[in-house]
Amino acid sequence: MIIDCDVHQTWANGNEITKRLPAYFRQGFYSMPSGNWQSPIGVNRKDAKPDLGEAGSDPNLLRAQLLDRFGISKVVLTGSGILGLGVHANVDYANALARAYNDALIETWMTWDQRFFGSVIINPQDPRAAAAEIRRVGGQDRIVQILMCSGTRTPYGQRQYWPIYEAACELGLPVAVHPGTEGRGIANGFIAGPPSTYFEWHSNLPQNYMGHIVSLVCEGVFEQFPSLKFVAIEGGLAWIPGVLWRLDKNWKALRATTPWLKRLPSETIVEHIRFTTQPIEEPALPRHFLGLLEMIHAEKTLMFSSDYPHWDNDSPEHLFPASISAELRERIFFRNAEEWYRFTPIPAAQP
Amino acid sequence: MPAPYRICKTSELLPGEKRLAHLNGISIGVFNIKGEYYALRNLCPHQLAPLCEGTITGTTLPSPVGEYCWAREGEIIRCPWHGWEFDIRTGQSVFNPHKVKTRAYNVTLESDPSVETYPTSIDDQWVVVHA
Repeated sequence: MIIDCDVHQTWANGNEITKRLPAYFRQGFYSMPSGNWQSPIGVNRKDAKPDLGEAGSDPNLLRAQLLDRFGISKVVLTGSGILGLGVHANVDYANALARAYNDALIETWMTWDQRFFGSVIINPQDPRAAAAEIRRVGGQDRIVQILMCSGTRTPYGQRQYWPIYEAACELGLPVAVHPGTEGRGIANGFIAGPPSTYFEWHSNLPQNYMGHIVSLVCEGVFEQFPSLKFVAIEGGLAWIPGVLWRLDKNWKALRATTPWLKRLPSETIVEHIRFTTQPIEEPALPRHFLGLLEMIHAEKTLMFSSDYPHWDNDSPEHLFPASISAELRERIFFRNAEEWYRFTPIPAAQP
Repeated sequence: MPAPYRICKTSELLPGEKRLAHLNGISIGVFNIKGEYYALRNLCPHQLAPLCEGTITGTTLPSPVGEYCWAREGEIIRCPWHGWEFDIRTGQSVFNPHKVKTRAYNVTLESDPSVETYPTSIDDQWVVVHA
């Protein structure tokens, strides 16, 4: 059994989102923030394009190429080209776009297959509106997480974002981040400065994940919201041990500055944060990869993702060295996600 | 049985002060916290830095997010190298008291018979570390 935690669906008809916008914003004078770094080899797998529309827009092709091909029993849908609303300069447009997207998701993809599960997309730059959107649609059947962009102006531990976490805990939904908006719209780029190529941009993406996770831990978000679950999608894995160890080491010397942190930061991360596999790192020596899994407590923290239909997607059949244990495979491919997400609806309370 | 070592007179180690000493080749720090005396091995268990050469300070107590309760002023020593905090009274680290600690020694006060004859010095006792 396999659960895929990052699948990018879209619509053959681009009007599906636009037609759900309020009339004012349907006029089309706002566009999605772009940047200097377009993939020279395209964002999508070339074999994933249906006859009509973009890759990821045809549920039949998605079923055939992903669910049926690999025996995947559940997919968590994460949208296409929509997370940029979180770095749009106009928060009203961004909020309206998030609502329109979520309505389109719930009215179409969510109704097409019981194996499709959804992510509520929010605009993190307006946390109150984001919290309202979580409360508006977060309780819908088969909505399993809240999703926002990883490129931001300020790190996600800071208190202005807390209304998002409060609403997430209220609904029992994990909050996830996904890359793509780094250096675009109103978001910061990378700390050393703007990269020259998509190659460089893509290689730098884990930087923001480090910043957000260090911020979430040190600002005490998981102390303030003890039931909060966080998911770092597509942010890489090999940097995680360094952050765990560095946080723990610094905590021993500097803990007096964050007296709400009452245990090793690494323990908080292992309890509250999950990471997804794609794009899997591919060291020359397989034993280095297995060592990495041990260092990041993969038996608890790691969940499989394919990133279908993007160019850098991973095949579940060729993801891991053959010597990985069957037990660990099951944790990563299935059990960790099954324990993290609420895939079955909460039964209605008996009168 | 630990042997007693006379360190100094109480008049030479006032509240808030510390004094380094060598006892049979072992470096220790002796502290006066508000009139009570404590002694620690001058060795941080982390990278063996001279712990007792660090700063005597306080610390923040565990608190809700965004609150800072500064307390225990004068009861904590911070290692001069990496800033780890230790409880001067017990030698236990603040962040992991049961696993990370430095050795603490028993300290007593003893009167000196030779000075007892001088009434002006009757309160000036010896600080004695048992190591």
